[in-house]
Amino acid sequence: MVFPLGYAMWLSLLNYDLGSGSREFIGFGNYRELLDDARFWITLTRTLGIVLSAVGLEFCLGLLIAYGLYRLTFGVRVLNLLMFLPNIVTPVVAALFLRWIFVGRWGLISGILISWGVFPPDFLGNPYWARVTIVLADAWQFTPFMILVLYAGLNTVDQSQIEAAQIDGAGVWMLLFRIMLPSIRPLIIFVLSIRLMDAFRFFDTIYVMTGGGPGTATETITLYTYALAFRLLQIGKACALGLLTLLFVAMLVALMIRVVYRREKGAF
Amino acid sequence: MKSRIDRRHVLRAALATPIILGAKARAAGTIQMISHRYPALEYYAGKMRDAIPGVTVNTQLMPIDKAMELATIAMSAKSDTPDIVYASDTTMQTFVKNGWFRPLDDLWAKYQDEFKLGDFPDTVLAPYRVDGHLYVMPHTVNTMMFFYRKDVFDKAGKSPPKTIAEFRDLAKSFNTPMRAGTISCLKPVDAATNEVHWYLNALGDGWFDKDWHPTFNTDKSVRAIEMLKEVTKYAQQGFTAAANDECMIALQQDIAVMGLQWATRANAMDDATKSRVVNQIDWVAPPQGHARIAGDGYAISAFSKQDPDTLFRVIATSASQASMRGAASMLIPPRKSILDDPEMSKANRFYPAALASYESGTRAPSLPEFNAICEFVTRRVLQGVTGEISIKQAMDTAASETGTFLKGHGYYK
Repeated sequence: MVFPLGYAMWLSLLNYDLGSGSREFIGFGNYRELLDDARFWITLTRTLGIVLSAVGLEFCLGLLIAYGLYRLTFGVRVLNLLMFLPNIVTPVVAALFLRWIFVGRWGLISGILISWGVFPPDFLGNPYWARVTIVLADAWQFTPFMILVLYAGLNTVDQSQIEAAQIDGAGVWMLLFRIMLPSIRPLIIFVLSIRLMDAFRFFDTIYVMTGGGPGTATETITLYTYALAFRLLQIGKACALGLLTLLFVAMLVALMIRVVYRREKGAF
Repeated sequence: MKSRIDRRHVLRAALATPIILGAKARAAGTIQMISHRYPALEYYAGKMRDAIPGVTVNTQLMPIDKAMELATIAMSAKSDTPDIVYASDTTMQTFVKNGWFRPLDDLWAKYQDEFKLGDFPDTVLAPYRVDGHLYVMPHTVNTMMFFYRKDVFDKAGKSPPKTIAEFRDLAKSFNTPMRAGTISCLKPVDAATNEVHWYLNALGDGWFDKDWHPTFNTDKSVRAIEMLKEVTKYAQQGFTAAANDECMIALQQDIAVMGLQWATRANAMDDATKSRVVNQIDWVAPPQGHARIAGDGYAISAFSKQDPDTLFRVIATSASQASMRGAASMLIPPRKSILDDPEMSKANRFYPAALASYESGTRAPSLPEFNAICEFVTRRVLQGVTGEISIKQAMDTAASETGTFLKGHGYYK
């Protein structure tokens, strides 16, 4: 891990451009240029929007389904297995599959709706719908991971606490929010951190489904990094952007842990 | 039980070594080829695989953006695979500038007679020469033609448009919820570039002035792109994510009435196994001309460790007269002997329109950075077309990004 990271750091300090053939040391020039670049800030904001929407949706759905499974008295194993299937599909394959579901006019959804005389929006071609579709696609693939972890967490809650709460008259939702969730808070932080870090690297699904478009509507920070490196051939700048992303994600996760554990010490 | 290495293990390892090394040697003998994919190139890939008995050619075909990205990743790392790389007249500029392609001059001279290479006209070879060296063996000459549904036009008593304004009006009149007035292929980067190229050259001031300063944001060019935006009101759903494949399918499946598409897609309209509009599509030169003309071919990687003669023979066999005759229904062959053959024109009904389109067409600027610049321009145009920003703002932003980029590459101070 140290070598690739160190090499990326070194490259980020160079004006390394495959197109022009230059490879000169420019210190923090790439970083300065990126911080002055409107496209960087726009993609960063857009990435944050997509990541927070996707992870938020996955967490809420995952928690509800995990709690449902927890309360279920039969078929839990089969349901768990079936629901986990989207998570084991290779992201590129899943994205291709989803693309043919959402593609306009002859995609599965559009095709069915049009045959009923309903003309749906252009899911991948309209900027707003493209962003919604990308969030849904991510949720389809990664909610099962949330379900699995949260379901495992819910099963670790001390049974005597639950029984005591029930004797005191706690209902289904009070049990969840007042007893169970506080008990698995470290696990929640863990799973959210993992998903946040992972979602920031969100690339394959967007690349296959929209290519960052229409225009720049779904261009995230990883797609911008990719464009810099492999379309514009600005390797130094792409490395600088990669490192800025790493820094940003690390800060975000640290902030999240700090906010949630502001009253506690030594949570991790 | 404790495991240990004994004489039997050593013996087994010794026996296995030649097998492992042999497998590696065989794997190293496989020629790797990366290419863009459309019917004619699929045909050529088949010819490459069968070119030399005993020589295995692994052909990887994919949409052009992905093929070029894969080649860029591999070759920027000086990887010895791929050995044979697809090249168009624009992508080769970047690859040659970076020293990624091997000049073919020596091999061309050596095999001139065997493969009748003098049959390639100089006008076809010219775009593939840099500083007097030839880098690509041409396999197709391509041009964008105007595809239209003859049955729909005849029924409405209309004839193909002569101007882009007429084209817009026809698209509007033919547009219905079930069948779009026109196709539009605006997926960045390659497909959108073709469409932007047509509007900029036919209605605007083109891409650049003689000093490589952008002219795609002049008032005239902005109006040209505004016309593009207007036409997209009558385009098929999903046009912002549609590349050539999607547009071809839209025409084949009776989802759109007309539009601009490559000549290499013409034959697919009459493929009864895939098309619902067999013999219903006709072709003419694009209204007001200036649609993109291009060419495809194959080059040899400068980093390949394979025998250059073998690689050249694989490429040349696929581009032989016999091979190109077989592909003539899928493309415009770049060999004089086939182009001048009246039987060929008679057998392929799109040839007259293709040649007319070629004569009125315009090549992309001969600039190694052109593809990178199209990354800026097409994304901004899409932002303008989808209403995120105005067209003027989109073109000005793209021009500013292009200026900074070209300045960094030493084009001007």
